[in-house]
Amino acid sequence: MKLKPLDMVLVALFAALMGIGANITAYLVIGGVPITLQPIIAMLAGSLLGSRLGALAMVVYMLTGLVGIPVFAEFSGGLRALVSPTFGFILSFILTAYLTGKIIEHKQNPTLPTFFIASFIGLAVNYLIGTHYMYYAYLWIAEAPEGFTYSMVWAWMIFPLIKDIIFTALAAAAAPKLYRLICRNSTYTQQRTA
Amino acid sequence: MFEHVVIGQYLPGRSYLHKMDARSKLASVFLLIIIVFMTNTWAGYGLLWAGAVLVYLLSGVSFRYIRKGMFPIFLLIIFTFILHALFTQEGDVLVSVGVFTLYEGGVEQGLFIAFRLLLLVFFTSLLTLTTSPIDLTDALEQIFTPLKRFGVPAHEIALMMSIAIRFIPTLLQETEKIIKAQSARGADFSKGTWKERSQAFVALLVPLFVRAFKRAEDLAFAMEARGYNGGEGRTKLRKLTWTLRDSAACAAVVIFGICLFFFRS
Repeated sequence: MKLKPLDMVLVALFAALMGIGANITAYLVIGGVPITLQPIIAMLAGSLLGSRLGALAMVVYMLTGLVGIPVFAEFSGGLRALVSPTFGFILSFILTAYLTGKIIEHKQNPTLPTFFIASFIGLAVNYLIGTHYMYYAYLWIAEAPEGFTYSMVWAWMIFPLIKDIIFTALAAAAAPKLYRLICRNSTYTQQRTA
Repeated sequence: MFEHVVIGQYLPGRSYLHKMDARSKLASVFLLIIIVFMTNTWAGYGLLWAGAVLVYLLSGVSFRYIRKGMFPIFLLIIFTFILHALFTQEGDVLVSVGVFTLYEGGVEQGLFIAFRLLLLVFFTSLLTLTTSPIDLTDALEQIFTPLKRFGVPAHEIALMMSIAIRFIPTLLQETEKIIKAQSARGADFSKGTWKERSQAFVALLVPLFVRAFKRAEDLAFAMEARGYNGGEGRTKLRKLTWTLRDSAACAAVVIFGICLFFFRS
C-alpha cells in the first residue's frame, strides 16, 4: 500500500476528528453507552477520503486510543478499552467507513440519495457489529447468566440509535456540500484525478 | 471546555516497569490477559492477585492513578455482579426479598467475574501508565514491520498516529473558534427547536471540515518540501532496546502462566 504524504495527513486528520467527535458531547451517557458523534465522522471519512483511506483512518484512530491517548468516548483510552463491551463499536467504524466509501465510489457523480443510502448502510453496519460485540462481550468476558437475553442488548441501544439516525440524516445532508467544497477548493482531488 | 483534559495517561518514572522495553511489556500484558481468562479456580485467582501486587510494587505508580483508571469500568463490574447475583440460581438461598432471591452460587459467580474484570483492567492500565504513547507507537511499528510484505504500512501507521495526536489540540482550538464565530453570527448551539439545532450543527461541521482540510494540505506540502519519502532508510533518535530485564520479565510471565495452568479445575 503506497501512501502519499497528503493521504497520510488526511488519514491522521480524520483519526483526530474521531477523537474530537467522540467527546464533543461528552458526559452524556445513557445506560453505559456514551452519546457521541463518532458514527458520523466515520461515515464522512468513508465518503470524503474513499473506502481505503477512510478505513485506514479508523484503524489509526483505534490504535491511537489503545496506546493511551484519551480519544475514545468519555476521554478514555489505553489498552483497558479492550475489556470494555463497547469496544465493538470502535472496531465496527473501520467497516462503516469502508462500506460508506465503497458505495459512494461506485457512482460517478454522487447525489444526495447516494449519500443517504451509503450513510445509513454504514450506520446499520456500525450498530450490527457493535451490538453483537456487546452481547458476546457480556456473554464471554462477563459470563452473563440466563436472564441476560439478546433482546435486552437491543433494547439498551434504542436511545443511542434514535440519536444516531437523526445525526446520520444530518451528516448525509451535509455530505454533498462538503464533498463539493473540498473537491473544488483543494488540490487533493485535483491530484487524485490527474 | 477542553482545557482541563490531560492528554495521555502516562506517568513518567524510573521504576522497573518504566525501564522495560515497550515490546516486552506489550507481550507480557497479552500473555497476562490470556492467563486471566484461563484461570477458573479461587486458588488461581489468589495467585493472580499475588502476582498483581508484585507487578504493582515494581511499577512505582501511586495507587491513586490506578483507582482513577478503574473508575469507568467499575460501573460495569457492579452491573455484572448484580446481574449474576440476581439471575444465577445455584446453591443455598442467602437472602430473599420480595421477588428477588439471592443464591450462594450467584454471589460467588458475581465475585468471580468482578475479580476477572478488575484484574484485566489492572494489567492493561498499568501498561499505559508506565509506557509513553511514543514508545508504544514505536513498539507497534516494530511489531507490524514483518507484516509489510502483506501490505501493512507499519511505518506509515506509526507516523499517522503521531500526526493524529498532534492534530487533536489544533482541531479543538479550531472548533472553539468556529463555535464562537458562529455564535457571534447568531447560531445557537445549546437551545432551540430540532430544526434550529440541526442548522447550527451543520454551521459547525462544514467550516470545521474545510479548515481541517486546509491544515492537512499545508502539512502535506511542508512534508513534501522537506523531501519526505516514506520509511525506507529513515533513522531514529530514540531506539528501543531489549535488555536482560525484558527477557527476565517475559520468562517470569510464561512460568507464572504454566504454574497457573495446574490450578485449573
